[in-house]
Amino acid sequence: MLKFILNDQEVTSNSKANERLLDVLRNEFSITGVKCGCKEGECGACSIILDGRLVNSCMVAIGSIEGSTVITIEGYRETKRFAVLDKAYASVSAVQCGFCIPGMILASECILDKNPNPTEAEIREGISGNLCRCTGYNAIVKAISIAAKEGKGLW
Amino acid sequence: MVNCYNPTSLKEALDIIAKEVVTPYAGGTDLMIDPNENPTYLFLNKVSEIKNIVEDKEFIRIGAACTFADVIENELTPEILKEASSQIAAPAIRNIGTIGGNICNGSPKADSALIFFATDSKLRLVSNRGERVIPITEFYLGRKKTTLEKDELLVEVLMSKNGLNNYYYKKVGERNALAISRVSFAAILNVDAGKIANCMTAFGAISDVIIRQENIDAMFIGKTIEEAKGVKEEYLAEYDQAIAPIKGRISAKYRKTVCMNLLHDFLESNGI
Amino acid sequence: MEKISESVKKKDHESKVRGSALYVDDHVMDGMLYGKLLHSTKAKARITNISLPKLLDGYFVVDKKDVTGVNRVHIVEDDTPVFAEDTVEYVGEAILMVVGPDFKEVKRILDDIIVTYEEETPILDMQKSDTVFFNYNYAKGDIDKAFEEADRIFTETFHTGYQEQAYLETQGMIAYPHDGRMTVRGSMQCPYYVYGAVSKALGYEEKDVQIIQDVTGGGFGGKEAFPSILACQTAVAAKKANKPVKVVFDRREDMEFTSKRHPSVSTYKVAIKNGKITGMDIEVIFNSGAYTTLSPVVLQRGLICANGVYRIDNLRVMGRAVKTNTVPCGAYRGFGAPQTFFAVEMIMDHISKEIGVDSLEFKEEYIVKQGDSTSTSGKYHFHVPLPEMIEQIDKLADYRAKRKQYLIQNGRYRKGIGLSLFFHGCGFTGSGERDFIKAVAKIRKNSDDTVEILVSNADIGQGLKTTFSKIVADTLGISYEQVLINDPDTDLVPDSGPTVASRSLMTVGELLRRAAEKLKKEWKAGEVQIIEEHFVEPDFVIPFSLDKFKGDAYPTYSWGVNAIEVEVDTLTATTKILGAWGSFDVGVPIDMNIIQGQMQGGFLQGIGYAFMEQMDYNDKGMIRNNSFSDYIIPTAVDVPNLVTEIINNPYTHGPYGAKGAGELPLVGAAPAYVEAMENALGADLNKIPFTTEDTMIVLQEVHKKC
Repeated sequence: MLKFILNDQEVTSNSKANERLLDVLRNEFSITGVKCGCKEGECGACSIILDGRLVNSCMVAIGSIEGSTVITIEGYRETKRFAVLDKAYASVSAVQCGFCIPGMILASECILDKNPNPTEAEIREGISGNLCRCTGYNAIVKAISIAAKEGKGLW
Repeated sequence: MVNCYNPTSLKEALDIIAKEVVTPYAGGTDLMIDPNENPTYLFLNKVSEIKNIVEDKEFIRIGAACTFADVIENELTPEILKEASSQIAAPAIRNIGTIGGNICNGSPKADSALIFFATDSKLRLVSNRGERVIPITEFYLGRKKTTLEKDELLVEVLMSKNGLNNYYYKKVGERNALAISRVSFAAILNVDAGKIANCMTAFGAISDVIIRQENIDAMFIGKTIEEAKGVKEEYLAEYDQAIAPIKGRISAKYRKTVCMNLLHDFLESNGI
Repeated sequence: MEKISESVKKKDHESKVRGSALYVDDHVMDGMLYGKLLHSTKAKARITNISLPKLLDGYFVVDKKDVTGVNRVHIVEDDTPVFAEDTVEYVGEAILMVVGPDFKEVKRILDDIIVTYEEETPILDMQKSDTVFFNYNYAKGDIDKAFEEADRIFTETFHTGYQEQAYLETQGMIAYPHDGRMTVRGSMQCPYYVYGAVSKALGYEEKDVQIIQDVTGGGFGGKEAFPSILACQTAVAAKKANKPVKVVFDRREDMEFTSKRHPSVSTYKVAIKNGKITGMDIEVIFNSGAYTTLSPVVLQRGLICANGVYRIDNLRVMGRAVKTNTVPCGAYRGFGAPQTFFAVEMIMDHISKEIGVDSLEFKEEYIVKQGDSTSTSGKYHFHVPLPEMIEQIDKLADYRAKRKQYLIQNGRYRKGIGLSLFFHGCGFTGSGERDFIKAVAKIRKNSDDTVEILVSNADIGQGLKTTFSKIVADTLGISYEQVLINDPDTDLVPDSGPTVASRSLMTVGELLRRAAEKLKKEWKAGEVQIIEEHFVEPDFVIPFSLDKFKGDAYPTYSWGVNAIEVEVDTLTATTKILGAWGSFDVGVPIDMNIIQGQMQGGFLQGIGYAFMEQMDYNDKGMIRNNSFSDYIIPTAVDVPNLVTEIINNPYTHGPYGAKGAGELPLVGAAPAYVEAMENALGADLNKIPFTTEDTMIVLQEVHKKC
């Protein structure tokens, strides 16, 4: 029995302590916005925000997050900041197959949260752990840059 | 049946590990790649005593459960460690991976362990039986084999406060992020009153353990830069004999060439 | 910019950016069971015994005995087994599937199964293969005479390696039986390919099979044929279980055991007389792996491209796809062209150096023009815009000046710049579209005057839902929002052909445009109307004969020029990409953002193919680098902003002037990269991936010479 805060709601997990947070979110809580790309912390498709930091949920054993705050795309998409990113990503058609996108959006949030005016190099560094095979990264980097400009005051 | 422990103090953690067979889990980024089926994890991420970075008269003391992100963001952290930590994997891994896990995992590719080797750092290992402080160079027995006792925890790393500014660091991976090191090299050179006070070099990722050649480095001690130039050929020749990289994801020949090139460049960049 | 090119918000943007789009693994059905395959651990062996552990209630094993139809997956030919018979032909071949309600228990059972193999000696090296699956030869002019009269003959051999598609979403299927029918849904590019394969494997009439494409997380060709295999296996399991069965590959399984780009060895003999090329004699071998799958078609395309963008009047090309006991290779963006374009670009570069002429200057003399004959004695019916694209790239990258400048360098860092010229033949090779695919597209106007597009082409990220909708909306003069399109379901859409060969926009898009035009003329507000269009081969096309290997292999071509600038650190032999520029002709972009995204994505995959992405098998036929940590694809910090320019060159027979776009951007990256490396290293190179280790070997050799 483990309590943590999932997208602003206190929840209780009945999973074993060594289960991956990725699997617990998908299987126990039906959070399908967290994707499995590799299960080895190498692709970022399972990225979530844990206690304010970008983390690969496949690398986290559920027993370690008692009392922690977890944000997935399902929670983040209700925010004003998301709306800015949504619009920015749409304006450059940065979404292709979409599989990396929930992770990329959360990574975008973490970049801007720390640094509201990132340079291109800082943006690329911030998404360096999120693999994308479709876009070549150009459009995603552009989208984050647009969001930084358009989201004045939000970050 | 208990399948994990969540101690909130070091004492609590030590009491548990004294009585039970547990797997210490700090960040989890090594453990979770290929975990055992039924482990009993001793989660250390809430043990506040081992998550601090403080300084005392001699040392910068870095708690073993400090994440790489903690290390990078703290102004007390020596630059060489910051640089190496910021090239580890990617942001998401740096946010929860810890230096303690990096050291205790025992891999010769451990990027922070290399820095601790090259800076002659010490490890403070604690159990209910007492504590010991050993140079990190005495911690490894072989690939993934350390002298950590079953009831011991790595609590902090002690880095020298001074003399780490003139450093050379290079990580060679297969790409610029999410890269496992193929060759990594860290070196410190300090000149005091015109004479070389110390020279510390270390190679990672090329063998079963991180390589330090203190005897060879000692060749430069007490010499001026000019004098050091005189023994440079001998230094390089001895090093060339001493290191025998092994084949891994890349050939031994490649590793050897890169090692010698970097060593050469380190010397040249110091005027030797 | 044409009006159609103005970018719109993609149809699938919302659901994907919000994380609510459901991929196959996101679907959970009542009573659903999980399946996992047992893969052969031997490259060539006879299976003498399989011993199963005790199985709990509800867990069972599925194998060849459970195949109710034919134990073969139909992919062009029919040699791929659904489940292995008595032998296995490669490491990874599926022997059986364990199925049950708890996935962990399924894995546990799998680990406890003991397969007894009688090992035989596998053939792993394609040059030692004893089985030719396919061979094609063609020629024109008089190559033997050209060789007799030549001053010199330039001979060189080129090697290209595997490439793994590395789509972020792994292969997955769910099959569920209901009302005497079988439905299979999952990650795929070609629902009707899966449909045909599943019907045969189950022994069902086609009306009793339904295939649905789920939102698919990338394909790049890797989901062209392989899904048919997994779908058959899953359907057989679901039939046995009489319950839904889900199979989703884990990353290592996917990387090791699914189809990849064919490795190749090509030998070029080029006749030179008075400093001019008078003929080329080319021999190409593609490594098919253990079964035929798509090898015939990949080989065909590779051979058609063998002499590149160059006018070679005396030409002989001979190619074979051979069997080895390795994972069967299949489709990957470019489909045979990247292999031979690498070879021909490099040999042109090397010959130019021998003759003492700048490589671009040398190549420019031979670039084909409109009206010239193609390699297979067809015709370049349309304008070839390469000259203007070269000027564009030269201006953007400062190519010519840098190329000269980098000839003389010293110091720790060496820079280089390279350029490649290439094309991609648009659409299905030869008469496949006319004789084989026979595409049918439909649109249906509903009574509320929304218009629904009914085609079998799959949006796998490349934006088909959006571009198809734009074509229909614009032609009808209605709003983009009024046009609807869902992921294809074979119960609801006709067979408009597979999502391959860069054909969807050009061929199916054109059918939709015609249908929309017809509907516009016949529009009756408030009524339901259905318009159907059938493919008609453009009348200018010189019909292609596969037997003679002659005619128009493609109706038209999309053209490309790439320049890549590198910097090599001679201490570590690592390379930094300083710049990557591409000029691309796709006719008219149906949506600029979407086309730019395709160009950039393909370009980066091509760059990965050039040096980072190395995959090989060991002496037991096992692929060692089977994870993202070992199979290295570029991250966002491995490449700068890719500069991609789209030129306007409308194609008369494509919707709004559009031509094939999807594969073009991958084709030319590798030769541009390797030419840049040659510039930096001062050596001739002839293999890809040209890795860090390869670079170090050259640096050592060059260093020794100095």
